[in-house]
Amino acid sequence: MGTDELTSDLTRQTENSPRELLTRTFFFLCAGLSIVTTISIVVLLVTEAAKFFTITAPLMGITGPTASIVDFLTGTTWQINSGEFGVLTLVSATAMITLGSAVIAIPLGVATAIYLSEYASNRARSVLKPALEILAGVPTVVYGFFALIYITPALSVILPSIGTFNMLSASIVVGVMIIPMVASISEDAMSAVPDDLRQAGYGMGATKFDVATGIVVPAALSGIFSSFILALSRAIGETMAVTIAAGSRAQFLNPLNPASFLEGSLPMTAAMVQLLLGDITGGGLAYRSLFAIGLVLFVITLIMNVISDFIAQRYREEY
Amino acid sequence: MATNTESGEIEGFGQVSRTVGTIFRYLLVAATMFGIVMLAVLLLYVANDAIQPSTADPGWYLTFFLALVVPSVAVGWTVRRRDRGAFGFGALLVGMLVVSLMFSGGVALLVIDVVPPLAALAYAIGIVVPVGFAVLLTQQAHRISFTPRLAATTALFYLSLFGLPGPIGAAAGIPQIVPSLVGAIQSIPVIPVDWMMVTAVVGGGSAAAIGAYVASVRDTRAGLYATAAAFAATVVAGALGPAVGIDSVPAVVIAAIAFVPTGTYAWRGAFTEEGSPLGLVFAVTVVGGALVGAFAVNVLGFAGPQSWVDWQFLTSAHSGTAENAGLYPAIGGSILLMATVAALSFPLGVGAAVYLEEYASDNALTRFVDVNISNLAGVPSVVYGLLGLGIFVTYLGRSAGTVLVGGATLALLILPIVIISSREAIRSVPSDMRQASYGMGATRWQTVKNVVLPEAFPGILTGTILALGRAIGETAPLIMIGAPNVVFNLPNALGAKVSAMPLQVYAWSSLFASEDFYTKAVPAGVVVLLAVLLAMNSVAIVLRNKFERTG
Repeated sequence: MGTDELTSDLTRQTENSPRELLTRTFFFLCAGLSIVTTISIVVLLVTEAAKFFTITAPLMGITGPTASIVDFLTGTTWQINSGEFGVLTLVSATAMITLGSAVIAIPLGVATAIYLSEYASNRARSVLKPALEILAGVPTVVYGFFALIYITPALSVILPSIGTFNMLSASIVVGVMIIPMVASISEDAMSAVPDDLRQAGYGMGATKFDVATGIVVPAALSGIFSSFILALSRAIGETMAVTIAAGSRAQFLNPLNPASFLEGSLPMTAAMVQLLLGDITGGGLAYRSLFAIGLVLFVITLIMNVISDFIAQRYREEY
Repeated sequence: MATNTESGEIEGFGQVSRTVGTIFRYLLVAATMFGIVMLAVLLLYVANDAIQPSTADPGWYLTFFLALVVPSVAVGWTVRRRDRGAFGFGALLVGMLVVSLMFSGGVALLVIDVVPPLAALAYAIGIVVPVGFAVLLTQQAHRISFTPRLAATTALFYLSLFGLPGPIGAAAGIPQIVPSLVGAIQSIPVIPVDWMMVTAVVGGGSAAAIGAYVASVRDTRAGLYATAAAFAATVVAGALGPAVGIDSVPAVVIAAIAFVPTGTYAWRGAFTEEGSPLGLVFAVTVVGGALVGAFAVNVLGFAGPQSWVDWQFLTSAHSGTAENAGLYPAIGGSILLMATVAALSFPLGVGAAVYLEEYASDNALTRFVDVNISNLAGVPSVVYGLLGLGIFVTYLGRSAGTVLVGGATLALLILPIVIISSREAIRSVPSDMRQASYGMGATRWQTVKNVVLPEAFPGILTGTILALGRAIGETAPLIMIGAPNVVFNLPNALGAKVSAMPLQVYAWSSLFASEDFYTKAVPAGVVVLLAVLLAMNSVAIVLRNKFERTG
């Protein structure tokens, strides 16, 4: 703060000249744009979703077909043509993708982070880290194509009953896509563990394995968990890979039943793309259902981001 | 446990099994490699489908092996043993030539099919003239105060671009009295040939940049010579292009964007004091080997691979049959979208970063903006698409799927990333430098302009290019704002419908799903998209490494 006060003291004379005012206002407006964006997202999603539900539509001055909020949140059929909007169908599909990608990304990502932070030489790290970044940099539409054209046929050799569109291949590519996220945030947390702790462990006669699993990982646990949540929120919002690979037929599947991964369904994001590609008239019920799904998606990812932030802040070990 | 009583040692004391640790270590390596290897295999598959290396003549491979691979490896190995720096320079030079050729292709596409040369020339002059006046005015800064200077500059730009009374007058119903400079140039009855106008715009811009670069390396005199030489080279390329079978316009663009800058860099690395010509030898061997190989297979009649990524694919529009389908409108659309996104997100993102790092005090509002930006970075891209659809299309009534709406939506999407990386770059500028500037009596804006931004610029640029790389691969927001799946022409205005490379790939792999598209058009599209991404990211990485070393 000392230098800040000094700076403002030194620059007070010129601070209000037209040029300073103009530039400062411009920079302030740029920063303000991020708040405007957030407010626009929230207001837009809430007002359009409000027009969708029977209970709130009259408040918005909307007449015409609407959907019941109870049916929306508890129904298990998604049939736009017959006016059945059960978002649970879509949520269950998204949950499957999230679960499936977590099974792949969490162990692999944490293992990668341990390797990079504890075992890898500087040289290996300088090669492996950019290589991992490539995994996150490949466009998701390319991953979707890979899942549909190469991974599904390869899986059908082992699992003959797998469908052309299936949750398994979509989960695999989404999992691979989010490995770098888990790995890089977890590795940051592990690198932040002070060397004293490791040296103390070695001093007690611990092996490298003991130190990595018994000291570093527990000490970095808050960062690791926050990386899980961030990565999974990314998996939930992932669109093109699941749109291409998971199919377009909405059906309610049990996320915990492994057999249901062989079938295809329609995750939330894919449903939004499908709605847009179909003939929806601006202002119709289908158009508004888009925003209702968008609101659910936005709320889920926002909550996860906030939780991740909270865990990282609240349970951080201070050294 | 048996004890050896004579020496007092316990057998096995101080020893633990290494098995667990070793197995764990290998498991970790395997986990790290899993994703990388999987992606590498998938990329090999898609490259194989797109390029079909097995369809080439064995003689084709043999020719290139003898002409390109053997000499390159031999020369490269020798150079690397003598001087590692020179080898790195040579490799960078080859990479620069390849990447700049790709970019010049993009620019050529713009000047041939999007912006008419006359309009480009008119706008270039219409912007250069007031900028020149503004520079002159700034030199009079001690005589004229800021407010009249600003007013004069704004008026000049308005007059030059719109004339009097311009769009404001048109809205009030006053007819145009004084034509704008841009309009006046466009209505000149006698116009020069297309390629000369392109030379003036593209060659002039490139020559000016090269002059500035050389002047910063040597002195102003050398800079002026370099400008003249670069411009002359562009003109020569335009004049001689048709003789070797290349139209003048693309010849000018390729010379101005690819050959002249690469040549300048080669000159600097090879013939100035700190450079060494060894690296140039390596670069010439690689490029020459490729040219000799291409000439030899042509003469000997060896057929290359039946690649689906060919000239026809790059220059034709979508078609119902996979063999004839092409990516041209999507490539052009992606270029225009990226230009729009860069023009919108760069100033806004850097401005926000400057405010948060240099101006904002640590209060609740700043912290809120901070949290807000990191949360915006986590909002799914479809939601940004919804924002574009709801705000720009439905509320503001813009037509769906245009360059402007798509570009604005993607710019909002990458804005948090640009802000976060720019903030990091600005934060890494040592605060001593700021204090020194304030100590000299500089104001906050002067400090930002003269100290902070120039120091942070490489970092900001790297972050922005990486963010643009993210934007170029995004499909979902474009679908949400109603970008059409199939476009047959390049968009020629900001209000024209646009497609993009990933969108075209998606359309082929879902709407035109057939074995033919899956094995021909889609892999070819994926390869082109990944090649463009690779080029952008390598530019960002080279920039970062270069400035990390020196700075």
